[in-house]
Amino acid sequence: MASFIGEEYRVPAAGGPFARPRAAIACVAVANYDGTAGGGGNRMGPRAYGALLALLTGFAAAAAPPLPAEHLDVTHLPPPSPHWMWVFDEALNNEIDTRLYLYDGDAHRELGQIDTGYWPGFTVSPDGRTTAITTTYFSRGSHGARTDVVEFTDNATLNVSGEIVLPPKRAQTLPTLYNVVYSADGKQLYVTNLSPAASYTVVDVVKRAVVGEIDTDGCVLVIPSAQRRISSLCENGRLLTVTVDDAGHEVARKLSAPFFSVDRDPVFVQAIPASNGVLFLSFLGDVYAVDVSGAEPQFTPAWPITSAAERGRWRPGGDQVGAYHRGAARLYVPMHRGADGSHKTGGSEIWVVDAAAHRRIARWPIDVKKYGSVDAVQVTQDERPLLFAATENSALLVMDANTGHLLHVESKLGQSLWYLMNP
Amino acid sequence: MQQRLDRWAERAARALAQRSSRRGFLSVLGAALTGAALLPLLPVLRGSQAVAAEPGAKAVAADPNSCEYWKYCAIDGFLCGCCGGSSSSCPPGTQPSPITWIGTCHNPADGRDYIVSYNDCCGKTSCGSCFCNRNEGERPMYRLSLNNDVNWCMANDNPNYHCSVSVILGVAGK
Repeated sequence: MASFIGEEYRVPAAGGPFARPRAAIACVAVANYDGTAGGGGNRMGPRAYGALLALLTGFAAAAAPPLPAEHLDVTHLPPPSPHWMWVFDEALNNEIDTRLYLYDGDAHRELGQIDTGYWPGFTVSPDGRTTAITTTYFSRGSHGARTDVVEFTDNATLNVSGEIVLPPKRAQTLPTLYNVVYSADGKQLYVTNLSPAASYTVVDVVKRAVVGEIDTDGCVLVIPSAQRRISSLCENGRLLTVTVDDAGHEVARKLSAPFFSVDRDPVFVQAIPASNGVLFLSFLGDVYAVDVSGAEPQFTPAWPITSAAERGRWRPGGDQVGAYHRGAARLYVPMHRGADGSHKTGGSEIWVVDAAAHRRIARWPIDVKKYGSVDAVQVTQDERPLLFAATENSALLVMDANTGHLLHVESKLGQSLWYLMNP
Repeated sequence: MQQRLDRWAERAARALAQRSSRRGFLSVLGAALTGAALLPLLPVLRGSQAVAAEPGAKAVAADPNSCEYWKYCAIDGFLCGCCGGSSSSCPPGTQPSPITWIGTCHNPADGRDYIVSYNDCCGKTSCGSCFCNRNEGERPMYRLSLNNDVNWCMANDNPNYHCSVSVILGVAGK
């Protein structure tokens, strides 16, 4: 399997079954040129060039052994690596054709792709074997009958392994990691709806069927906690937690007290996965940690990642405003100089914060002129973590998450990279 | 479906009223109902504060092909004027979204604040030209009435997003 990685892969790609047609095209080009140039005033006419070329080609062919015959096949993915990353491309100029690219942060190359349709949601099963995509298709490409569906991709092959048709009202919105999620046991799937009434569909993954719908009374996101408990974020700054049973029906719901002020300093909807729940970042850079591992959500007092002097001047921003390494308790945030309304401006720096000590430990400047500002960040969860940063220019930066050292730049991956997800 | 839309519109309107003076709210509602036959549902206030152009930016603010055009203070999408329509007209073959959000933008040319409806035009794939993303007063998805990250074509027969218009509904009430 390893033979396809690196130079060994690139060398045979230059020859192979395509070498022969390419040579044929070259001959045609020479013949065309020979036929149309006429006599002209060249010191050495085109016929003479053609003859010389044929002579040199003949020498080269005689000196080197012929390339071996090759067999066309399909590349197999190598065993999964903790340094792989799913990179979401919104394909802004043709949004019915969005994708997820699988990228290898060590080999610095794309490994494959999942087609994700129109304004999709995406998540990975708890066992890591399946990527679930919720999306919308139209029967005639850009128009025709609408079908909402969840599609399952086998992560070992990147083949679509199945699908379940959904009610045609799933939320078509910008990505978060909580627009669609699995239950902890992987048996249920919760799909955020917005019609614009807010709810979520409960899917039984084992039976391959839609089994329920939970009305969330305007609250959005599906943040899983215990086996059958799902929390959603509400307009009044509260968290709605609903418990469903194995059949997908609601058995309990509870609304928390407000834990942030929507009017004073709203939190980004792009919740960041943390050890026992999620972190929310506010527009001004406060961190709200929510622990959903217990019977009820627990909220710790918010703390800032900015100093008093920086507050309001340096702000989080972009599409994916933070990433968290659970083992090291490190939070990575793209930051920019901004003001009210700049919350979608990408970062000119990535700030590294010790989330246990509530202390910033580094500021890593980004060469914005060269790569564009950082719209999305994600960190691998291993002991030698890589930090991935996607920029407004659709560049993908691969960095050492411990030092900030820039290891690789994929200068143009796809069209518009908006989100990153660990496999 | 319609019942849920009505509930949502009612909630949005109630939230709007709570954030606005009564006179301002009524002027918005009146302008929306009389000035926009395309809007069968209550509009959603996009921003409660007028956003003034930067000083010295009047020339740019008067160019409808610029993202800094004064009417676009809360737009997020492709300008329909670059896609066969105009700043207040959907391109041929597309359909306006029946639900939308509303902003209040300051016109430096006459010094007035205007209520602007940001309808999406739907039914064809992304226009792909003149993308603008201005977010003064924009709020996350849980405050849906102030959010521009969702697909406002969501309730159309064909919810494919094509571009966005900025339709003047009237002068903002004081």
